[in-house]
Amino acid sequence: MNSKINKSHYGYFFIAPFFIGFAVFGLIPILYTFYLSLTKWDGFSDPIFIGWDNYARIVQDTFFYQAILNTLIIWIISIVPQLILALVLALILNEKFVRGKHFFRAVYYFPHIITPITLGVMFSLMFDWQTGSVNKLLLEFGWVSEPVNWFNSPWWSRAIVGLVICWQYFGFNLIVFIAGLQSIPSEVYEAAEVDGASKLQTAWWITLPMLRPVFLFTFITSVIGGLQLFDAPLMLGNGPDNATRTMVMYLYETAFKNFDYSYGSAIAYAIFIVVMFFTLITARASRLKD
Amino acid sequence: MNEATREPMRLGPIVAKTVMYLFLILIAITCLVPFYSMFITSTHANSDIARSLLFWPGDQFMENYNRLIETVNIWRGFANTIFITVAFTCLNLYFAALAGYGFSKYNFKYRGGLFLFVLGTMMIPGQLGIIGFYKLMNALNMLNTYWPLILTGIRDAFGIFLMKQIADSSVPNEIIESGRIDGYGELSIFHKLILPLMAPGLATLGIFSFIGKWNDFLTPMIILFDNDLQTLPVMIASVKSQFSSDFGAQYVGIVISVVPILIFFSIMSKRIISGVAAGAVKG
Amino acid sequence: MKTTKWFSMMVALVMVLTIAAGCGNNAGGNAGNEPAQTDTPPADGPKELEGKLVVWTFFDQVKEMGAKFEEKHPGVKVEVNIFPGDQYQTKLLSAMQSGNNVPDVFDLERGYIGKFIDANFIADLSAMGIEEQLTDYIPYVRELGRAADGTIRAVSDHSSPGSFWYIRENAKKYLGTDDPDQISEMVGSWDKIIELGKKVYEQSGGKAYLMQNAGDVFDIAAYNTEPWVKDGKLNIDPKWKTYYETQQQIRANNVDAKLGFMSAGWGNALNDGTAVLSAMPAWATFMIDNKDDKAVGKFGVAKSPEGFYTGGTYRGIYEKSPNKELAYEFIKYIASPEWQEYNLGKTGNMPASGKVYQDNMDTFKVNLLGDQNPMKIYYELVNEMPGIAPDKYGEEVLSKWRKVAGQGITDNTSYDDVVASFKKEVKNAFPDIQVD
Repeated sequence: MNSKINKSHYGYFFIAPFFIGFAVFGLIPILYTFYLSLTKWDGFSDPIFIGWDNYARIVQDTFFYQAILNTLIIWIISIVPQLILALVLALILNEKFVRGKHFFRAVYYFPHIITPITLGVMFSLMFDWQTGSVNKLLLEFGWVSEPVNWFNSPWWSRAIVGLVICWQYFGFNLIVFIAGLQSIPSEVYEAAEVDGASKLQTAWWITLPMLRPVFLFTFITSVIGGLQLFDAPLMLGNGPDNATRTMVMYLYETAFKNFDYSYGSAIAYAIFIVVMFFTLITARASRLKD
Repeated sequence: MNEATREPMRLGPIVAKTVMYLFLILIAITCLVPFYSMFITSTHANSDIARSLLFWPGDQFMENYNRLIETVNIWRGFANTIFITVAFTCLNLYFAALAGYGFSKYNFKYRGGLFLFVLGTMMIPGQLGIIGFYKLMNALNMLNTYWPLILTGIRDAFGIFLMKQIADSSVPNEIIESGRIDGYGELSIFHKLILPLMAPGLATLGIFSFIGKWNDFLTPMIILFDNDLQTLPVMIASVKSQFSSDFGAQYVGIVISVVPILIFFSIMSKRIISGVAAGAVKG
Repeated sequence: MKTTKWFSMMVALVMVLTIAAGCGNNAGGNAGNEPAQTDTPPADGPKELEGKLVVWTFFDQVKEMGAKFEEKHPGVKVEVNIFPGDQYQTKLLSAMQSGNNVPDVFDLERGYIGKFIDANFIADLSAMGIEEQLTDYIPYVRELGRAADGTIRAVSDHSSPGSFWYIRENAKKYLGTDDPDQISEMVGSWDKIIELGKKVYEQSGGKAYLMQNAGDVFDIAAYNTEPWVKDGKLNIDPKWKTYYETQQQIRANNVDAKLGFMSAGWGNALNDGTAVLSAMPAWATFMIDNKDDKAVGKFGVAKSPEGFYTGGTYRGIYEKSPNKELAYEFIKYIASPEWQEYNLGKTGNMPASGKVYQDNMDTFKVNLLGDQNPMKIYYELVNEMPGIAPDKYGEEVLSKWRKVAGQGITDNTSYDDVVASFKKEVKNAFPDIQVD
């Protein structure tokens, strides 16, 4: 511990490449976006400086507030089952006696490999209300008396988008959890076994607390990534009454469909603030458990 | 709690195991079926693809493949993508581990603030930055080269975050101390002692960044000009007529592009485990 | 230790690869900056074209176009670069602004041509004499390439007309005839369609519908109404109210099968005929399952109450291109009957030139349609359509209308409510448009 103090300035060398790389490749696009957010620009003529007008427009933009709400709802629908599923599966697959661990782990990651085109085609085929396989199954089992028009209902639409995201990303969190579990030294488990702890007791009292850094990672990246939901909702469209239009979809629509790059840039920064806000809350909440 | 948890084990571990395997298999099926359907789809004609989920092999694979190679140089794209992805992933792993370890184990001034800054860079949606990025690459004369696609691997905030958390939980300070006592420099400690310890994390990040880069569509599409320099996803998406995509040919392309991902995944996935063996020996 | 070795190998590999990348790219870089050889040709004899053109597009068939042009002018090299996806527009814009790596000729899709057409980086083709080449063009195709100042800036080589397709067998069963002229007459107006639709639904015992989707009315109405923005003000053509009510009636009387255009159910209905009529553009035939020629002669085409089209690609020249003359020759070539005739035979894409229509009207066949000559019907329909110059709002405002009104039909909302929420959306997305 003591030599750590006088060596600590070495840390700057270790992190320097990131900051150099960021300064070269990342900083200017971000600053340029900020500059655009202070202008009026349709992509063709020269940008006209208008100060904070775009931000004033956001504050009054009810569609943007709706997009925040949509994003949060879809995020919660997707993240809760996603993390639980990933954790449970990671704990099971970490057990020595489970056969076919490699197989299961690989298969659970498949949804994340499937490209957005495939995903879009597949889900529209499955949930098509007249010909989709989901409705056919439900009718077959007699659980519904007539086909459900999924994408005509705001809540079904959101639930389906959330489900798709959950399905697509649980494998991702699973891998992170497994990497975390693998970094726990096996002596810890052996000690617990000697003490006669059951599997569940070991999981609850030993494994989960030791996973805390990994949990922090998944929570925070889930907030940062999850609030920037884009691909999956985009393929299913805005939904009834724009119920599945997320913040980044709104940005995309504004900038690239309506060619209002300047307002789009302002939305980008507004999203930044929203994401930052929820990240801080999450970080604070996760620390409380210390 | 004791009773509840132990009872099924005592009464019938076989029942518990069966339930567990059923659960695992059920979820595996939901993941496998669409994946399987993706392969099957590549063997059908366009008029079938848009109309139903396909589960039985068709006989159109070669026709689809021929249309694909007639329009794009798919194997050239394959080679391009391998090159870009491998180069990017290596850079990404090394520098993410470097910075993650730096943030984890060195208590330098402003560490917290700098780390928050790293996280902050992930919070701005990137979609619009692409315009500024294009302008920048134009100014740096890097358009139509692979540099912007590869070098950005150095500045991966996500990777740094992951590696920091892994280092927090899997690198004991004693190892660094022992390295210093043995007279190693700080960088050789990192290379010789730390990297092997972080293998599970590196393999994990490797999977993420390899697959992410492999499927990256937007950046190569914007940065590259020559058709022959393009990557697989861009080439696959190019197979379209004026009004509609040629799904049959595109699915063949997708199948071709998924195979290396599967190979890379299975290699790396095993590394997540074998890394632990190495760590256990050390520990 | 194994890991270390593995890792240092990877790092070494990266170094080698990165260096290789550097070399490789310098050789491959700088597309499209070579100026053409613009030597003045000898005064006598035909001018032989020489030089290199760079063409940007978002789909691969343009290569064929380039190849044909090269064939005609052996001294010319056409390099076609394909950039698929929505962000092609972003790339085009960025390149035009930077002025580097810029193409000589570039494609614009009908959906966003209105945004680009007035930009100062698109060359004025009228000044180069293109109007002469377009005299026999289908009016709507020509006008879609016109900028606000009245000059032609972009040219298309095709029209994309749509009409009603039907399975002959089903038409006989439900309509009593499979004759295109008779059916065209039977569905000549929306009122007739609603009446006929009721009958089909009743007589089939609720198993068959006349139309695929009430939304087809939008597609047909979209290009037969006034522009959405006039003098900076939102302009809702009063005809939309009638169209909206027509759709409500179609929905209420089970005239349509409620299948969205190009959805899975739509494709199935087109093939098995649960809906008698499918409103579709000529290019949508790839949805028809013609394995082992089983759909040959299966279909007929009838006129829709009004003409419509779906999609279209336009081609313009970069204002500062050093190869403007050559680029103009290329545009002239795609506007020529020579190319369009070839394209019709090769891809079945309907021409933009009225002359090509007339020349092929009696000879052009689509095997799915048997003996019928579809070009006759298409030609009548496209000629009736008004020529409307694009503007930067049109398509996006239309898509908002389609969304809000489509939702309104499903929920059976009143027209006034639909208009109110439509106005709200337009106002929010385009603060520059005056909405009252």
